[in-house]
Amino acid sequence: MKRPYGVVGAGSWGTTLCKILSDHGHEVFMWAHDADVVEEINRSHTNERYLPDAKLPPTVRASGEVAEVCEACHLLLMVVPSHVFRSVAGRMGEYVNGEQVIVHCTKGIEQGSHLRMSQILREETCVRKIGVLSGPNLARELAARRPAGTLVASKYAEVVALAQEALHGPYFRVYGGDDVAGAEVGGAFKNIIAVAAGLVDGLGLGDNTRALLLTRGLVEMARYGEAMKARVLTFFGMAGIGDLMATCASPLSRNHQVGERLARGESLKQIQEGMFMVAEGVKTARAVHQYALEHGMELPIVEAVYGMLYHGLGVDEAMGALMGRGTGDEFKDLTQGS
Amino acid sequence: MRPEDRERIQVEVVSRIVDRHVQRADTAPEGYLETLVNDTIYHERRRLERASGQNARAEQAFYDGVLRRMRHASDRDLRGLLEKLARRFVAEVVGNFDKRVYRLTTSVIPGGLWLLLNAMSPRRMLSLEGLRHGFTKNLRLEGELEHVKAMARRGTLVVVPTHSSNLDSILMGYAIYLMGLPPVTYGAGLNLFSNPLLSFFMANLGAYRVDRKKTSVVYKEVLKEYATVSMEMGYNNLFFPGGTRCRSGAVEDNLKKGLLGCAGQAYIGNLRAGRDQPNIYVVPCTINYMLVLEAATLINDHLKDVGKSQYIIEDDESSRPRLVYEFLSKLLSLDAQVTLSFSTPMDVFGNKVDGQGRSLDARGRVVDASRYVTRDGAPVYDAQRDQQYTRELADAITAAYHRDATILSTNLVARAIFNLLRRHNPELRVYRLLRTGGQLSSFPLGEVHQDTERILGVLKAADQGPRLGPTVAGGDVTEVVADALRAFAVYHAHPAAVRRGDRIFHEDRNLLLFYGNKLNGYAVSS
Repeated sequence: MKRPYGVVGAGSWGTTLCKILSDHGHEVFMWAHDADVVEEINRSHTNERYLPDAKLPPTVRASGEVAEVCEACHLLLMVVPSHVFRSVAGRMGEYVNGEQVIVHCTKGIEQGSHLRMSQILREETCVRKIGVLSGPNLARELAARRPAGTLVASKYAEVVALAQEALHGPYFRVYGGDDVAGAEVGGAFKNIIAVAAGLVDGLGLGDNTRALLLTRGLVEMARYGEAMKARVLTFFGMAGIGDLMATCASPLSRNHQVGERLARGESLKQIQEGMFMVAEGVKTARAVHQYALEHGMELPIVEAVYGMLYHGLGVDEAMGALMGRGTGDEFKDLTQGS
Repeated sequence: MRPEDRERIQVEVVSRIVDRHVQRADTAPEGYLETLVNDTIYHERRRLERASGQNARAEQAFYDGVLRRMRHASDRDLRGLLEKLARRFVAEVVGNFDKRVYRLTTSVIPGGLWLLLNAMSPRRMLSLEGLRHGFTKNLRLEGELEHVKAMARRGTLVVVPTHSSNLDSILMGYAIYLMGLPPVTYGAGLNLFSNPLLSFFMANLGAYRVDRKKTSVVYKEVLKEYATVSMEMGYNNLFFPGGTRCRSGAVEDNLKKGLLGCAGQAYIGNLRAGRDQPNIYVVPCTINYMLVLEAATLINDHLKDVGKSQYIIEDDESSRPRLVYEFLSKLLSLDAQVTLSFSTPMDVFGNKVDGQGRSLDARGRVVDASRYVTRDGAPVYDAQRDQQYTRELADAITAAYHRDATILSTNLVARAIFNLLRRHNPELRVYRLLRTGGQLSSFPLGEVHQDTERILGVLKAADQGPRLGPTVAGGDVTEVVADALRAFAVYHAHPAAVRRGDRIFHEDRNLLLFYGNKLNGYAVSS
């Protein structure tokens, strides 16, 4: 008997993934934190709060019990915000076994430990067959079945094959790879650059400035990625430049919205009060900044975003600091491919 | 190995290899088996070009014969030739077996060691009792000894020690005897058999022969399959996953995956065969010497060869019996000079196991390890998956090495002096510093004490290891430095460092680097 695919997390991206899976004819069993979301999905097949206007088929069922979902499914897609990732993983750890597969779709880095999500899964569960899904995947566009692509990376070929079998379809192309660190760093890091891109757009600085930001942002991503043992080439793919382009260009992105509001002079506190979903870039900026500080790594764009978010650094000051820096070789500090 | 198992293992190894390749030939491009046999002959003939003597000529004739038969061989003939090659290799690996020696060694191994050492001594430098006493007193076994013993009753052990000396296998053999475990099977390089002293123990502690000059695919498969089948038969195995003696003196972090992968394969084999005790327990162990017999040769080779592949050292300290003897007796004159530290046993996926042999996840929850290799309820092989498991096992082993390595006074003081060298000569690159010694030929004793103290502080504060040897753990820096200098003075032709008055002179900087490198990875640089 074919087992349903599990989706842990019922935010906009989790709900969208349920939709993609069921569009491909699969049965889906999802876990949601809020009881009312569980009830809404099971009763009216919608998730108005996180993915308004989307209709889910009856083949998508929901539960508030992590145990039920973990025990029923072989493949689990984990789609929870990074700040609750460890606690949810710890709960899953009570019920999963070594035969199961977890592909996480969370773009972030843990505060303090600097751990990537796959590393947290290793710490909190017995599962080894771990993968990451990362790419230019704005939930609302995919929910509307507009063509898109993504990357699933895992050290285990069967994880990639399984995820492709589940998710690849007429409007969603799923590429495979084995650079887990690269896929995770790309997905997390681009959120910081997206905040900066929102700022550039908010200030109306134009295309040259945005291109400068994205290109240098990519170099910083690669620099940080190398420290995390990622392959630089991965940043040329779906999880790197792909995700960066989509997130930075789209006003739909929450991170982009944070940047735009910073440009209007709002503080982080004001911005967060007006958002009910998490902008991952805000947390990731702090985690990456801390790492760079501890390891003497130069990441000027990250520093600027961090300064504006957490220390009230003014837009003009930040721009001045960035534009006033020395230049030198475009790819200095990158060792791979040089 | 029990005599009745010797034939079984040979037949099993050959048939697995032949079956595997015949199966592959079905889907591979035309000429697969022919290429495989041809490649094996090519590698062997190349090896033989550089060999001489009667044996080499006989071998040459054998391969010439195979080559002649190959020219008109049908698929069936090729299968026969592959079988012939594999059978020849496995027979070499197993070696000759002497029941008399087998009985002797399983009953009187340790006595044999002392007798032999004394027989080789030119002037009976130590009495039998003295030597035995010295070894018992100075070989420290620490770590999870009871846990390891308990696992030996519940499954098959694969002991994977660090490797820095050709004496390692003897010490491991002796330690395993002291712990009351059955002897282990292990692969020893042919060059070790050329030293009569070492050879005696190689053969007797269950060693099989590994000829590192044989490079063909089939030969390497024979070695791996031999290890796998012996584990499946329940024989405890020992191998050095570093592959070769660590040249740099550092705690190893780059392990060879070939033999390591056998543990996982044997586990799956056991599950598939429905054996009663399918579990294979991997036991990392660090061998920590106050002085290393081959230190000078190893570090020189390391410096010559950094970044390149290492070659086989055929003539070093360990091939000179008198030197081995002198080294041992000098080493024994020191206190607590060798520490074998056993880590918590783990399963073949790198999960720690509890006292009942059950696998635990990182949070200490019991997990069913068989689920890692089952698909739809049945255990299956999967080459790509299993390679990744082996990589994860290797990571777990190196983490255990770093946690459980024991830092002895020679390591600590060598590092302190080398740090001073670096600090006083910031402009010199390491190679130049090693050659010239920099500006100062000595440092005030106080400075050496100070840096030793600083490093000791860092080590004591670290929560991820290493362990500290008894003198080091005592914390009396004056005593630690004196202890190290005493050790340096007894064996090496040029002591690494000596004290004259209130100054410490760095005499052999390569040795300082070697002994100090053991602290790499513990954040103790100057």
